[in-house]
Amino acid sequence: MALNLIRHFGGGREIGTAPLRSALLGALGLAVAATGMVAGLPQPAKAASPAACAALQAKYPSLKGKTLVNAINPHTPGYETIDPQDPSKYIGFDIDLGEAIGDCLGFKITYTPVTFASLLTTLQAGQADIVISDIYATKDRAKAADFITYLKVFDGVLVAKGNPKGITGIDLSLCGTVAAENTGYVEVPLIQALEGECKKAGKPAPEILLFDNNANCIQAILAGRADTYINDVNTVDGAVKAYPDKLAKATAVTLPYSVGIAVPRNKVEFRDAVMAALTEIQKAGLQAELMKKWNLPAEQLEAPTLVLAD
Amino acid sequence: MRPMDLFLHYLRMPYLIDGVGYTLLITLLGLLGGLAMGVVLAAMQLSRFRTLAIVARTYSIIFRGTPLILQMVFCYNALPMIGIKLSAIAAAGLALALNEAPFIAEILRSNVIGVDRGQVSAGQALGMTPAAIMRRVIAPQAIRSMVPALGNEAVSALKNSSLASVVAVQELTLRSTQLASATFDFFSVFFASGLIYLILTGAIAAIQIVVEMLLDLDRPPPKQQLARFLRALMPGRAQPAAVAVATPPDVAAEILADIVADPLPPASAKAARPPQASAPLDRAARARRLAGNNVAVDVQGLRKSYGTQPVLQGVDLSVRAGEVVALLGPSGSGKSTLLRCINRLEGWQDGAIRVGGRRLGSDEAGRPLSPRGIAQMRASVGVGMVFQQFNLFGHLTARENIAGPLRWVQGLSRLEADRRAQELLERVGLAHRADALPRHLSGGQQQRVAIARAVAPGPAVLLLDEPTSALDPELVGEVLEVIRRLAVEEGLAMIISTHQLRFAGEVADRIVFLAEGTVIEQGPAEQVLRAPSHPLTARFLSTMNAE
Repeated sequence: MALNLIRHFGGGREIGTAPLRSALLGALGLAVAATGMVAGLPQPAKAASPAACAALQAKYPSLKGKTLVNAINPHTPGYETIDPQDPSKYIGFDIDLGEAIGDCLGFKITYTPVTFASLLTTLQAGQADIVISDIYATKDRAKAADFITYLKVFDGVLVAKGNPKGITGIDLSLCGTVAAENTGYVEVPLIQALEGECKKAGKPAPEILLFDNNANCIQAILAGRADTYINDVNTVDGAVKAYPDKLAKATAVTLPYSVGIAVPRNKVEFRDAVMAALTEIQKAGLQAELMKKWNLPAEQLEAPTLVLAD
Repeated sequence: MRPMDLFLHYLRMPYLIDGVGYTLLITLLGLLGGLAMGVVLAAMQLSRFRTLAIVARTYSIIFRGTPLILQMVFCYNALPMIGIKLSAIAAAGLALALNEAPFIAEILRSNVIGVDRGQVSAGQALGMTPAAIMRRVIAPQAIRSMVPALGNEAVSALKNSSLASVVAVQELTLRSTQLASATFDFFSVFFASGLIYLILTGAIAAIQIVVEMLLDLDRPPPKQQLARFLRALMPGRAQPAAVAVATPPDVAAEILADIVADPLPPASAKAARPPQASAPLDRAARARRLAGNNVAVDVQGLRKSYGTQPVLQGVDLSVRAGEVVALLGPSGSGKSTLLRCINRLEGWQDGAIRVGGRRLGSDEAGRPLSPRGIAQMRASVGVGMVFQQFNLFGHLTARENIAGPLRWVQGLSRLEADRRAQELLERVGLAHRADALPRHLSGGQQQRVAIARAVAPGPAVLLLDEPTSALDPELVGEVLEVIRRLAVEEGLAMIISTHQLRFAGEVADRIVFLAEGTVIEQGPAEQVLRAPSHPLTARFLSTMNAE
């Protein structure tokens, strides 16, 4: 029984495809046909593709007409979340950038929503073709995927309003405090590394609570379980905007990383194509335009470079 | 919007409602897949082949002992490494099925084991194959008793389906968390999705109540059923009497009334009690007649032990067609074991038993038969058995207890089987109780139905294992009378183990006295009872007479 059904669904990888809908109706007899079943369909192109895209499509014909899967952790307002007005869609800067790359190279994109920690696992397992999800390109992560960078990293330090613990960044002010982070975030080892310094200064080490999405980290501060959440500055700004009476940004921190698009390690041609398209999109000013649309500071823009494993 | 309005907004949101579709789909895949695999696992564990049981047990240990969330991630992200790339829904459904299977298998197994072993023995003795016993006796009763546990399992599968969110299935939990992240309306969203889960699990509870009612053997008329359903939904007001587990008082009264009201029909001329004076003459003539009959049961040098404990130590016994043999002996002397060996309900270590000239349990060349082969041989040789504990099939009416095996084993049509059942029920004086379930019959009535069932296929040999020992004293008489008439009217060979000395003297042609696993004395009934030759027999008889 199970095997039959699996075979039946085996082909469909997108969310809410027609066979699933008919199977649902048939098998369960439920009137779930209502609306909004189709999640993650590509949004219409917002800007004209650069002229050079035609040349890229000619150079990489194998991508044309394809539908690729983008693994995202859709809990980062401004970068990727569902659209509260139409939850069947994903919105944000990363989503628009991905669509722009797809438009340029001639492929469509569907989305698979996973936890932050399993973004790269999903890519490695072949359950996704690309990851554009505000993920920092580090040497460690490059062991699992090749990265093409597109943004500089600015972190914000989210604290309760008034910053009762007087936190000033990833420094000794964190000693004895509780930080909320997501599993797999680059901030985690940076905070852990403070343990020695704190001990030397005669203070207790910082404690880290691990969650699997931004919303849980923000809730941890609201509930008084955590003192800070250090993450992408735009995410922090979004949280402060949502809870202006309860949260504040203590400071901004520069981290020596860039945000990158992750692609499978063994697909060099695909990596080259994405990098070329991203270059054209930046040249045409499209990325700057999208950053303005999503309130990202213009100085964050970074020319594409590769971050690969050593 | 105020929190209450937000809550209602999310409760009605098509995005979340559609997520319910995926939640139900994953749950259904998990339950159906788990049920299919659970049946296989349970069958493997119950099978007589040890290797299968070990494989099934190993599977259970692995999949019951690891977290579902790991199994989900494994099916979604690890299987692709060996070339099996499942969609998110298929991977989550598979993981849930793999995880449910051992739990469902244990539910199946415990309920199968829970069915009274005596009923299984009765089915075997009637010549039913293992498959027929499973289908007709065990499954119908096990399925009834496993409904509550399966209901539990369905609720737990539904809640567990939320873990499919880790492999990107757009079910209710994943959609709720995404919505909460996008809107920052954390609590309104989660209260709404919590309430939706409650509605779903509530629906499963309602389905369970309906199924339990439909399967209730004492199902009342539809009107009462609705009232009962409503009561069941409000546990506080449920009346204990609503669920008839024990025999309700009115049924008990009915049974008492029946004991008085269901006398046996008048005996046939042949079976009418002969005047005591003419008995010895008749007996001598009968003994001469029997001596010319074929041997129906032939036991030679039978040895059997349970572990190191010897039970039968070289028993020889020969019974001719039409002969009635009473097996006497103290408790533990091996009477029951001997009877159970004769129709091959048990095996033995040494010796041979032939029934109707054929060896039960092995083919002509002496090779052991499969359980199925033994069942078919029992039916074709014709050995019936009556048990101390009656062993009627608990879910079947008196009529169906008799007619069912006739259809399943002898292949009679429904009409023929029912006619034969009705005829036999009349003979044992229970035609008016044909539609009663065993648990609504008195012990004596149950044993009369059991005797009718054993006789129905027209066996050549009838084995009765202490047929009155489990009965209240006032019910013994009616059962002995039924057996006495059978002995006279049917002319079939009977071996009765009993403690009823008077009955043995009256009905038996021969008494065989068994002690410490061997036959220490046998002879014409009157002779053994009046003048036992072995001191053990004498002591036993005087003890029994003193009681």
